[in-house]
Amino acid sequence: MTDLLYNNQHIYLFVALLLLFFGIAGVVYRRTLIGMLVSMELIMNGAGLNLVALNRFVSPENGYGMAFTLIIMGIAAAEAAIALGIIMLTFKKYGHIEGGDLKEMKD
Amino acid sequence: MNLGEIIFLITIVATLGGAAMAVLSGSIVYALMGLVTTMFGIAGLYIFLNSPFLSMMQILIYVGAVSVLIAFAVMLIGPLYRKPKEWTTIGKFAAALGVALVSLFMFVRFVMETFPRAANPSFKITTKEIGRLFFNNLVLPFELISLLVVVAILGAIMLALFSRGNK
Repeated sequence: MTDLLYNNQHIYLFVALLLLFFGIAGVVYRRTLIGMLVSMELIMNGAGLNLVALNRFVSPENGYGMAFTLIIMGIAAAEAAIALGIIMLTFKKYGHIEGGDLKEMKD
Repeated sequence: MNLGEIIFLITIVATLGGAAMAVLSGSIVYALMGLVTTMFGIAGLYIFLNSPFLSMMQILIYVGAVSVLIAFAVMLIGPLYRKPKEWTTIGKFAAALGVALVSLFMFVRFVMETFPRAANPSFKITTKEIGRLFFNNLVLPFELISLLVVVAILGAIMLALFSRGNK
């Protein structure tokens, strides 16, 4: 029973790593700010999955990984709220949310 | 291969397929749907990791709050269809692929080989113990999270309400 597929630690770690891969690719590849925000959420999900998998397999005697995953969820919610406020402000001021064209944010 | 492993493989395929759809699709709404699929897949993986409370929190916070917030932003931003679609140049695609592959190969040895292959230890952290952990050892991060959320809400309201126009 120990070699069931879902009791393999490396599968979870590799899925989390692929989520990080897709997230980094999306931050570079996406053109609008909302697309970049979606990719950032992918990266945060990968981090949470990594923490829970290591908590389950490497140190199963306490629950710090799960607790920090809950903290990551709270931080992600706050970050999404602030980022969407900034995106709406950008749209109101410039009329578009293209990340490459925002060159006059200085003033 | 029993039923649990088949469901596990389906969950992994849904997670990674949703991530690929969130990155590569041309429309921002399809990208959002891919993100929701990924979050449901990760909730399933949390159930396979013996932590159903985290799975419920994942669905509640990410699917219920963050995705709806992003959907509202997509609707409020207005006509994205005036612009051409999200297709970017082939050079940008190559750059994104290169950066992501370099970071993947940098991390893969560290992640895969640093932590030893554990022999499937028994894991019985219940929701009650997570609550005790939060209120015994992690009181300061817990309170700081509440402060952060309050400040974020106030900041979002201030940004959205009081900074209109070209002042």
